Amino acid sequence: MKKRKWLKIAGTVLAVAVSLILLQELLMPKYIYDITEGAMIREYYGEEKDHDVVFIGDCEVYENFSPAVLWREYGINSYIRGSAQQLIWQSYYLLEDTLRYETPKVVVFNVLALQYDRPQSEAYNRMTLEGMRWSASKVKSILASMTEKESFLDYVFPLLRYHSRWSELKAEDFRGMFRRERVTHNGYYMRVDVRPAENVPEGRILADYRFGDNAWDYLDRIADLCQEKGILLVLVKAPSLYPYWYPQWEEQVEAYALERGLPYLNFLELTEETGLDFSQDTYDAGLHLNLSGAEKITRYLGAYLREDIGLADRRGEKALADRWRDKLAAYEQDRDAQYEKYGMTPPDR
Amino acid sequence: MKKKGLGHFLALAAVCGVLLAGCGNSEHVISGEPQEGGAAESASDQGSAPQEAKNTDGAGGYVFVYGDVTISMDEDASSVTEALGEPASYYEAASCAFEGLDKIYTYSGFELQTYPTDGKDFVSLVVLKDDSVATPEGVALGDTKAKVEERYGTDYQEDGALLTYQKGGMKLCFILDGDQVVSIEYRSDVLEGGDA
Repeated sequence: MKKRKWLKIAGTVLAVAVSLILLQELLMPKYIYDITEGAMIREYYGEEKDHDVVFIGDCEVYENFSPAVLWREYGINSYIRGSAQQLIWQSYYLLEDTLRYETPKVVVFNVLALQYDRPQSEAYNRMTLEGMRWSASKVKSILASMTEKESFLDYVFPLLRYHSRWSELKAEDFRGMFRRERVTHNGYYMRVDVRPAENVPEGRILADYRFGDNAWDYLDRIADLCQEKGILLVLVKAPSLYPYWYPQWEEQVEAYALERGLPYLNFLELTEETGLDFSQDTYDAGLHLNLSGAEKITRYLGAYLREDIGLADRRGEKALADRWRDKLAAYEQDRDAQYEKYGMTPPDR
Repeated sequence: MKKKGLGHFLALAAVCGVLLAGCGNSEHVISGEPQEGGAAESASDQGSAPQEAKNTDGAGGYVFVYGDVTISMDEDASSVTEALGEPASYYEAASCAFEGLDKIYTYSGFELQTYPTDGKDFVSLVVLKDDSVATPEGVALGDTKAKVEERYGTDYQEDGALLTYQKGGMKLCFILDGDQVVSIEYRSDVLEGGDA
């Protein structure tokens, strides 16, 4: 009798636990049609993980570099582990997380994140952290990222945070419980529309142009981890015109790159070489590049990775080439659909 | 026995229900709208994160006056921009992920920025750009720290080159280069967090 009783209790606990897990899956935002940036981090885990290059960083990586171009034109297999306002400690822990699965030859990190020295916003935190698989890296990233009013328990049990979504559930919440549509192309967020950069304001005067100690510490950790794993860390500054990139910030990054012996490409200073035209190559007046702009600077980066770094052309690897055939088809389909949506004529037609 | 099993289930469910009650508002987390304890970050604010819409019409805070237009932090921006007329230039900065635009209006001698909340724009920042304008208390770019103290008192926070006067949910900031004021900013508290 006693055994039966305990079995019943265990069964009840299990049933409640499963119900709560399903409820949590239902109520958590899926980020499929709205704010798709929240779905980016999770997508990586469904990939075959043998990338030559992994990008980490904020919107300046996932909106400005196209892995499809690196493959199509250089045979370089790459992935962008980017997310909106990815803070530098989040980039570090995402790198740790990535290294649990693969060791790329090159890691590309965008330096704009150095401007933040402390946690910023729960909404952005969640878009980066919720998609990570549970690991020590995720725990450390949550602890490093939480704003004062956030609770670690809310990350362990997101149901605590999202339970009030029941009244706004959509069909995607039910569909997305078991299957999520992809929102990126190997981490790249595509936009083809054009909004020229005009009247871009200069930066305000700052009281202190030095990056914070915490930010530097995490850049050191990224550099050390790459060094330890035999990975080349390439620092980049994407050519976004806004937020303003101060000359004082540039000097600090240049000095750091020199001291650590790291390559540093500032695409703001390479507009002639890349052929960027901010009347055509941005969809939001200079904050991010559109497809045309992203493909231009990716071509420059691809040539650099091939010629200066010596990454091999892997287009001859059948299994990889087959995977990329499907990926490129999806990329072109998305591109054409967007051109149609915005009533634009693709430049190659 | 069956009734007991059902009883266990209901009891556990009730406990969970109690646990879930009264938690924070998830809608704002997902939409990125300002809310207590977290808010959307805009790409446009040079390292500052909007935290919470105040909408206090600047009650009690320092105000900037241009001609006959008085500008308070967190007040509805539409009436201000309408009264100020056509700006010399205008820029819209979209957020990295969320809906809404931060707007930057440049007028002669100063810049005005807004942040969006619930479909409306509110004043987040006024930056004095040259000495053709001054604060109503009479401090302009190029003045000395002593003059700032004479006009505003010494009840300020000093962090390196930055002097901050806090009042009524806003900040009045003076940046010094040596002894000279090189920047004056009226800042809403929604811009708290991570100023570089």
